[in-house]
Amino acid sequence: MKGMSMKLVLRDAGIGIALLLLIVFFSLSTEHFLTPNNISNILTQITINLILAIGMTFVILIGGIDLSVGSMLAFCAVVAGTVLTIPDLSVFVAVGLATLAAIGTGVVCGFLNGWISAFWGLPSFIVTLGMLNIARGAALQVTDARTIYSFPQSFNAFGSQMVFGVPVVFLIALALVAVAWFVLSKTVFGRLLYGIGNNEEAVRLAGHSLMVYKVAAFTIAGALVGIAAMVYMARLNIASPIIGIGFELNAIAAVIIGGTSLSGGRGTVIGTLLGACIIGVLANGLILFGLSDFMRQMITGVVIILAVIIDKYRERITAA
Amino acid sequence: MKLFTAASILALSLATALPTVAFAADKPVVGLVMKSLANDFFKNMLEGAEAHAKKRGDYELKAIGMQNETDFESQLNGVENFITQGVDAIVIAPADSRAMVAPLKKAMDAGITVVNFDVSLDEQAKKDAGIDLAFVGPDNRGGAKMVGEALAKALGEGGKVVILEGNPGADNAAQRKLGFEDAIAAGKLNLLDSRTAHWETEEANSVFSTMLTAHPDIQGVMAANDSMAIGVVKALDAAGRSDIKVVGFDNVSAVAPLLKDGKLLATVDQFGSQMAADAIDKALEVVAGGPKLEGWIKTNIELVTKDNVK
Amino acid sequence: MTHSHSGAAHRTVAEGAHAPVLELHDVRKRFGGTVALNGVTLSVAPGEVHGLIGENGAGKSTLIKILCGIVKPDSGAIRLAGENYEPQTPRDAKARGLQVVHQEFNLLPFLSVAENIFIEHLPRNLFGVVKRDEMNAGARKALDAIGLKDVDVRWPVERLGIAHRQLVEVARALMTDSRVLILDEPTATLTSRETDRLFTIIDDLRSRGVSVIFVSHHLDEIFRICDRVTVLRNGETVFSRPIGETSHDELVRGMVGQQLQKEMASDTISSAGTETVLSLVNFRHTQSPHVDGISLDLHRGEILGIAGLVGSGRTELLRAIFAAEPPLSGTILRGGKPAVFRSPREAIQSGIGFVTEDRKEEGLILTMPIAANVSLASLSSVSRLGLLDRTMENAMTEKLGSDLKLKYGGPSKQAATLSGGNQQKVVLAKWLARNPQILLLDEPTRGVDVGAKAEIYALIRRFAEKGLALLVVSSELPELMTLCDRIMVMSQHRIVGELPRADFSEEKILTYAYQGERRQTGH
Repeated sequence: MKGMSMKLVLRDAGIGIALLLLIVFFSLSTEHFLTPNNISNILTQITINLILAIGMTFVILIGGIDLSVGSMLAFCAVVAGTVLTIPDLSVFVAVGLATLAAIGTGVVCGFLNGWISAFWGLPSFIVTLGMLNIARGAALQVTDARTIYSFPQSFNAFGSQMVFGVPVVFLIALALVAVAWFVLSKTVFGRLLYGIGNNEEAVRLAGHSLMVYKVAAFTIAGALVGIAAMVYMARLNIASPIIGIGFELNAIAAVIIGGTSLSGGRGTVIGTLLGACIIGVLANGLILFGLSDFMRQMITGVVIILAVIIDKYRERITAA
Repeated sequence: MKLFTAASILALSLATALPTVAFAADKPVVGLVMKSLANDFFKNMLEGAEAHAKKRGDYELKAIGMQNETDFESQLNGVENFITQGVDAIVIAPADSRAMVAPLKKAMDAGITVVNFDVSLDEQAKKDAGIDLAFVGPDNRGGAKMVGEALAKALGEGGKVVILEGNPGADNAAQRKLGFEDAIAAGKLNLLDSRTAHWETEEANSVFSTMLTAHPDIQGVMAANDSMAIGVVKALDAAGRSDIKVVGFDNVSAVAPLLKDGKLLATVDQFGSQMAADAIDKALEVVAGGPKLEGWIKTNIELVTKDNVK
Repeated sequence: MTHSHSGAAHRTVAEGAHAPVLELHDVRKRFGGTVALNGVTLSVAPGEVHGLIGENGAGKSTLIKILCGIVKPDSGAIRLAGENYEPQTPRDAKARGLQVVHQEFNLLPFLSVAENIFIEHLPRNLFGVVKRDEMNAGARKALDAIGLKDVDVRWPVERLGIAHRQLVEVARALMTDSRVLILDEPTATLTSRETDRLFTIIDDLRSRGVSVIFVSHHLDEIFRICDRVTVLRNGETVFSRPIGETSHDELVRGMVGQQLQKEMASDTISSAGTETVLSLVNFRHTQSPHVDGISLDLHRGEILGIAGLVGSGRTELLRAIFAAEPPLSGTILRGGKPAVFRSPREAIQSGIGFVTEDRKEEGLILTMPIAANVSLASLSSVSRLGLLDRTMENAMTEKLGSDLKLKYGGPSKQAATLSGGNQQKVVLAKWLARNPQILLLDEPTRGVDVGAKAEIYALIRRFAEKGLALLVVSSELPELMTLCDRIMVMSQHRIVGELPRADFSEEKILTYAYQGERRQTGH
């Protein structure tokens, strides 16, 4: 695998350089960008998108797409929020159960996404488009469209905890990146996900059940949505059925900017981490730079397209 | 996301499930067109209207809503469906102050009584379409000015503030921003920055954190709705800044604890639950042969602070 | 050695008669550090069928790309019909009267056969609307001309088999009049019957004065159809001779530079045992029209060949045994015991391996490392608790690589970097890693050059000696006759004949194959 991982390292290095250039630019052009406070702000701001994007990486690697993560985030959050506000539970038990509920909800939705698309051979684009509506509707139904709040104080405080100026929630996301990297690059499971993304039929004819791996990828994405939901609640101390609208697009953007191919089989979770950082740095830096909201949105769009164009060239260079 | 009319379907089925007498009875039928039912504010409003319909018992209520704040399509379809069904009155909280003018004109041409509430239709657009339509609703600008002045009073002259705006293009967002600016001018405040967070908690949290980095000397924040105010309060908690004062708008239930803790200085209650009901009353008066409505019929608004929060 | 003198004499005569229509002089081309063409000189007379042969990598593809305007040469001169020829695009080339039928298919799969044939000049009425009837009639005529009577021109191309697509491609090229027609391995996917049709077409072109450059791996075809042959090796012209003045051996020596053909000609001693490892009883795949299906026995150490025309159901049979597509009915006995495979996984677990016809789409993951391809079917033996052991994986790759004489840059190189023959060895390695008892092979040497072919034959024989039972489907009769202990002939989804090695002859096999065909079309 040496040659392949070398290429991947080079690929990630390119994105890393782009990120570095952005950081240098904003550091020079704005006063507050490179301050400890602002950096921990950025890290907090990218955490949720990063966690969602890790799951999205698994799905995109097998050539799928998950449009339902934003809605699922809301659904997971309101289910967990309901559990978390059950009266007379000790904080420890309540948070534990809520986490289980959030991840469990995500796992069920993700499993359905994967199973339905694999079993009936449907494009995941369509299936998760369905789930986008189902999960949103379910979140509204469960809460009767109301916002859930008044979580335990210590839980609320956890969301803004810092360790040496680094938000704890970001460290959680980083740990998830590490786990995902390990799974994708060191395990048989990861190998087969890449295999399926590159040539599904060859993997099937080598005696592997595509169903198992496809379902697993979507389920993992679902579980990560559950974790992201808990982080959301800890950070903002509410669980509302209308949160997370459009989050799937941000997650997809992070994955694509991170160099993962939308057609599957190519990309790393380290790239995704860098992609999420680029989006976060841009959002933050452009505000500090004093750019209007509309310009900001345009530039983010330009960056997404640029990333894909650059990736095309990189592909040509590495293929030669 | 305007393709997805799930919420409106949900709302429609909800409306048909209401314990009303069959269509055959010659009770007038009122079609209520709501905005996002995923928003507490409109949710309360719908419930208020339903309770009102039950209480009066002399009309039939049919309600539709939309998926999210920008889902114009389902409102459009809703109005057209009501025209087809031949309702007696349409009572509407338009999603867009311009886009909804044309379908409403169609309804009026079909002899349906139309009452516009919550958000006023654009004057110019109304003029262009050649319709004259009264507005029943709160004074968003006045409300924003009211809550902005509460902040100005707390900060004193020269206080440094930022604004978090609603969706660009939405009329109530624009009105509230104008109201905030009125208060800033009146109170001689200093406006440092004004940005949209699209009414959303998480985005408000991120955007405000960054504004705070750029302007650490911020003293007050005006958020155009309470969802965004919640995100701002969290950002202040995280930054350990208890010196900055925040005001919101809407008085959703989730801000009650924040008002009590003093983390939120004030918000505005538009009495949303009554607004739809009021508008329905006005519509029924016209249907029953009362005089045509004119101008702006303002509904009650109230400043909510620590002292009067429930 | 005899041919060289007379060859020169013959050439002068031929050139005196006609000025060459296409002339290449010392054409060179480099891609970065690799030399693709190192001085190719070639001359094609009008109405001549000119064979172009060489191993994979000899420069044939680059030469063709230059001629059709996809690639520009670095140096050298090309003249077409007496004028300088420097095509910038394939369109240019076509305008100058040079057309290529490529090896890779350029058909649009979702359009109809007729639309594909007419794609460049759709008949249109005044309003620009396609005149469908006229187009279909024209396409019908074109297909009839090349003998494709059983194909409906309204079918989408995706419905056609690989051989029929190739013929449609030829039909399309014939729609435009050209001076020079290049056929790049047109017979690779064709059965003998279809090859015969193609040769009739070529004969016709020759008589009309069109020059044909015919690229093929099959030397017998070169001898059958060509007037002249040019051998390329390492990007250079080795020699160019009238066909009557050269021999099979000389051509092979020219291509490989050594006498690898010995391997191919060597007589084999059958290692077939008596123990039956696989039996099919009335076995039917989903498209099989016959209730009684197919029955056969495969023995330990045996190489059983399956011959038949394209569309006779050979590939479908292998796929059904392997459960790549679930079979319709019938019984599989594995070592005498009934076995049901619901997925390739279960077939593999029962000791069966399957080298598919389409290496790139089904056999390999081209963009992944060689090691990952080799271990793909046996990941559990290079991992512990689900964790990959790269050291074990590389060791396995290196061991199998040296067993199979794989020429590769290292286990971590992409499979796409290998030549066709070496790619096929990787596929073989993937199955050998599992130590299977049965190996199903579908066109095992498609797109493999002569040298590698011989090596693969030797490997297949070696596997059989070690007790592996092999079921080989091939459209190349010499291949089956070289390899097999026994050949079964399929036609119209049933076995119509069986020949022991002693009775092998192309004639007998073809008689069976066409017999079945006639029976089918007779009523």
